[in-house]
Amino acid sequence: MATVATSATAYVLGFVQGGGAAKEESSTFLVSPDLGLMLWTLLSFVTALFILRKYAFPKITEALDKRQHAIEDSIDTATRTKAEADELLAEYRERLKEARVQAEEIVTRARTAGASAERESAEAAKAKGEELMEQARKDIEAETRRAIGEIRSEVADLTVAATEKVTRKTLTAEDQKRLVDEALGELDFTALSGERR
Amino acid sequence: MTLRLAVLATPILLLLLDAQAALAIEVNEEYRPQDEFKLDPWIDLPGPLDINKAVFYLLIATALTVGTFMYVANRMQARPNRIQTAVETAYVAMRDNIAGGNMDRKMAAKWFPFIATLFLFIWFSNIIGYLPLPTNTEHKVDVFGVEVPSLALYAATANLSVPLVLTLIVWIAYHIEGFRAKGVGGFYKGLVPSGVQGPAKVPIFFIELISDFVRLVSLSVRLFANILAGHLLILFMGGGLVVLLNLAAVGSVILGLITLPLAVAFFLFEIGLVATLQAFIFSTLTAIYLGGAVAKEH
Repeated sequence: MATVATSATAYVLGFVQGGGAAKEESSTFLVSPDLGLMLWTLLSFVTALFILRKYAFPKITEALDKRQHAIEDSIDTATRTKAEADELLAEYRERLKEARVQAEEIVTRARTAGASAERESAEAAKAKGEELMEQARKDIEAETRRAIGEIRSEVADLTVAATEKVTRKTLTAEDQKRLVDEALGELDFTALSGERR
Repeated sequence: MTLRLAVLATPILLLLLDAQAALAIEVNEEYRPQDEFKLDPWIDLPGPLDINKAVFYLLIATALTVGTFMYVANRMQARPNRIQTAVETAYVAMRDNIAGGNMDRKMAAKWFPFIATLFLFIWFSNIIGYLPLPTNTEHKVDVFGVEVPSLALYAATANLSVPLVLTLIVWIAYHIEGFRAKGVGGFYKGLVPSGVQGPAKVPIFFIELISDFVRLVSLSVRLFANILAGHLLILFMGGGLVVLLNLAAVGSVILGLITLPLAVAFFLFEIGLVATLQAFIFSTLTAIYLGGAVAKEH
């Protein structure tokens, strides 16, 4: 086996060096440039470069750019839509909150208004009642006073008449007054005035 | 199972019985494996423009490069299918990694078509080199009375002329870019790395100048030698070695059993990695050379 390996190595080395076992014909064509092939290479490469550069690459670039823009646009749109939706949602929430506050306010106001109206009407009724009472009291007092006055002058006249009858003499106005006052002073009219305080 | 074992064991038993006789070498002087790479003119054209096997491969590679991209470019969809996705992936890799990663934005935009074409051209040349095509005009096969060249593996890039022309284009291109960006004097002054001070500049300059010329060799030979070596390995492992060493029958069978799986392995390695890797290296180095030629700091 070792013999095989050695021989093979020697052969391959000789082959790569272009000599060795292959004696008859040289193998330099492996490493010597060939003008025709070089020209063909140049021609092929330049043709490929020209066509690709002019017709293929711009289209691919354009399509890739377009797709990138489309993706960016979609992302932008999505972001914008989401922002708008968020904004809208926030607005609705705000509005809802406001509506709730307003509703509460209305209810409160209504309640307050109701309460105050009740109170006012109660007060008004009370005031009216008191007024009526007061009026009645005043009327009564006035009536009482007038009645007392009448009674007093009646009593005075009677007293004068009685006194004249008794004494057979006419009293001076001064005496008369003094007498009446004395007489009246002894009388208690409180029971007539109705004031039981 | 027993039969298979017997078939496998027989040559090994014979080898053990009489190793000397089994491994007797009688090198086949008639067989010249290098002739697989020999170029005989197929069609005579004026001047040196004869069509031969290598030109045929070049034309196929060009047609595939142009055809694939034109096909896809004219059918670009917003929602890509598989082929478009593959082409787009390659396109974006060439644009953003090979060109964009090694040059500034302006240079990358300017040179992207060149670098992309270079990559695709080399890649298609390498790949079709691993497809068996009826190109062996030395050995013909009779198919229903028609003489058809037998199937063979060949690659245009396994021929020094092809990488050499591409290298020359690259070399000239980056010199022109360098001269344009910095002036001729500035370009050559820029060869010396910026950290070098004093008299050390002189020898460093000459070393860098030589290395600038060596790029002509390194860039072209790297591609050529890789593809040639790959083809030679597949050729030798796939039967070439057996024919060449011309061992006694038993030894040939054993050698064949050993080398055939290796041939498959090398084939997969070459088509799966080397073909693409070499195209990538060539175009990436081109981008680096172009980028370096105009860069402020060398």
